[in-house]
Amino acid sequence: MAVPLTISQRLVNWARVKSPWITLYNSGGCNACTIEIIACLMPRFDVERFGVLTKGSPRHADILIVTGLVTLKQASRLRRVWEQIPEPKYVIAPGACGASGGAFRGLYHVVDRVESVIPVDVYVAGCPPRPDEIINAVVTCLNLLKEDVAHGGKEWRQNKAVETHESDKKTGEVAP
Amino acid sequence: MSTPLTLDFVTETMKLYGTVEQARSNRIRIATMPDRVRDAIKASHELLGCDRLLTISTADKGKTFELIYHLTGPHHIIISLAIELPRDKPETQTTSDILPPAGIYERQIHDLFGIVFLGHPDLKKIILNEDWPENEYPLRKDWMPGPETFYGGLMRERK
Amino acid sequence: MAEVIIPIGPHHPALKEPVNFKVIADGEKIVRLELDLSYTHRGIEKAAEKRDFIRVLPLLERVCGICSHSHSSAFAKGIEETMQLEIPPRAQYIRTIIAELERMHSHLLWLGVAAHEIGFNTLFMWTWRDREAVQDTLEEMSGNRVHYGMNEVGGVRRDLTLEQVNAALLRLPHLEDRIKKYVDMVNNQKTLLVRFRGVGKLSKEEALKYGAVGPTARASGVDYDVRSDDPYFVYADIPWEVVTDTSGDVYGRTCVRIGELQESIKIVRYCLENLPEGPVRVTAPKAAPPGEILSRYEAPRGELVHFIRTNGTDKVERVDIRTPTLANWTSVAMCLVNQNLADIPVIVAAIDPCLSCTSRITILNIKDRSAGVITMDELRRRSCTRCYGQEQE
Repeated sequence: MAVPLTISQRLVNWARVKSPWITLYNSGGCNACTIEIIACLMPRFDVERFGVLTKGSPRHADILIVTGLVTLKQASRLRRVWEQIPEPKYVIAPGACGASGGAFRGLYHVVDRVESVIPVDVYVAGCPPRPDEIINAVVTCLNLLKEDVAHGGKEWRQNKAVETHESDKKTGEVAP
Repeated sequence: MSTPLTLDFVTETMKLYGTVEQARSNRIRIATMPDRVRDAIKASHELLGCDRLLTISTADKGKTFELIYHLTGPHHIIISLAIELPRDKPETQTTSDILPPAGIYERQIHDLFGIVFLGHPDLKKIILNEDWPENEYPLRKDWMPGPETFYGGLMRERK
Repeated sequence: MAEVIIPIGPHHPALKEPVNFKVIADGEKIVRLELDLSYTHRGIEKAAEKRDFIRVLPLLERVCGICSHSHSSAFAKGIEETMQLEIPPRAQYIRTIIAELERMHSHLLWLGVAAHEIGFNTLFMWTWRDREAVQDTLEEMSGNRVHYGMNEVGGVRRDLTLEQVNAALLRLPHLEDRIKKYVDMVNNQKTLLVRFRGVGKLSKEEALKYGAVGPTARASGVDYDVRSDDPYFVYADIPWEVVTDTSGDVYGRTCVRIGELQESIKIVRYCLENLPEGPVRVTAPKAAPPGEILSRYEAPRGELVHFIRTNGTDKVERVDIRTPTLANWTSVAMCLVNQNLADIPVIVAAIDPCLSCTSRITILNIKDRSAGVITMDELRRRSCTRCYGQEQE
């Protein structure tokens, strides 16, 4: 359901999509993903030409990238950092550690998934994912941003997930 | 001392501290007692020429904990001084005054195994979370994460 | 005691990990240092006791994102020693090639990060661009830029083809020219000289007493390199030299690392040109006989020690890892005393802290009785302003 936008809203959205600001949060782990993300800023991959900047403070950012595994110590701090980011905000969790705990799943000092601490929008597969794949993830995030703006917010994604579940229950079929 | 130490020389010098045996071609192992380990370290400094501590390794052997101090020097031979501590009272004297790098290793061992180093200036938590419950020592063989020690994240808090 | 608290925010683009240590300062001079390592503690040693020798190697590789080959090699080498396995020479050469390539990529990474700490971003960009050549070679040989997965108990998992060897040899001359340029830069550029000389001085006696390892110790004149003291793989058979320096400050450590870069290129070239024919693995027995090994390895940051105890099954009883960064923290604590607060970023970066520690600096100011929070960015800006008289990005 498309929502009609004013000109100033369209301008703001265009600016957001053309130049997303990113904050990196390193929540423990082996840091290979962090190095690959820093390699994105280097002359070989060079995301700064697309307007992507890394900012230290979460209050300036559009996208939060949570690299690595969430250890027990970092869980509450990660939550606090996420709460400081103003809407609209998106979270990317690169690597196998972000999705399920990776090689460290079930160890005594880790929280198994980033999703149990903050909601995640994009996962990137790999251990660690290549810089190209991380740039692809940022682009996917921006496409999501465009879609969310067209639908008037993020709720349509959650409602869509609920609707799919409901229709599955009615027909008794499981989605492939 | 740049000539390699021989087993006989080490046995001769260190025999009053414990039993000496050749563990590998360049490693000599001396099994000693907790109350003599400080003197053994000083002797290895003065008589055997060891000038650096490599690490303090630990192992849980069931009824005892084993602590091994690995020392080496310009002679490239590793001297391992091994002591055993009873499980119900794992205490020993600190060696951080004669070996400065031991300060950090002892803090880490205390966190993970619960061995108390008497005389250590600052035996605070170094490697486990500040909310980690007391008296839970993860690297002991009989420790398993239970519901009280396994926490974190929203999903578990919701439960 | 009032406190000036300085957390180095974990979200910094160029800082790999957070390590938490408290610096107790008297005005601008540092008095003492305290440490907290729990941010990246994951419990790997406990998990390694439940995995057999095939499954434990990927876990140990992921202890650290830069020296991943070091951890898996040290472990595999230790288990092979207990089993008394003879590894075929081709496998030894391949392991050496990957080890030296890893050392090169780690030192280039360090050079960039150290330059970033003093505000010299040009060098940061140049070194990381040259590092991509090393990453390409590693990716061609092993399939991944980090976490190569080349080791197994009994040899190496993949062989090198002739095309890979030739492609790697073609990349080396360009890298050598670039490194000569960095030598020139380090010796002549005022920016670097002013910030690195005389900072974080560690004398030879102090380096021995506090147990420093790796380039930190070699820059103070301590001739300690596991590759020559306790040779493994093929280091005993090929011509190479240990690089030392006598100045003991951050400048000395830079020179040692650049010297090691040049030595690594020579070692890689020699190994690639003289790769012997033959198989790359032997079948290892499933279980290791009971025993105790101390396996030492020269990781890019220093000496890595794995103490392994086996008990006759296909799992280890205990693996005790002592990383080089842990050995170097005591010397950092000591050489930060009586230095200026603003030199902290440079000195900490100079020991090349491995990503396996988390950092956040807390500073307690005794005299001032003030409490405040400064980020690492501000500390860096302060240090650049103090030096150059103007704000640097």
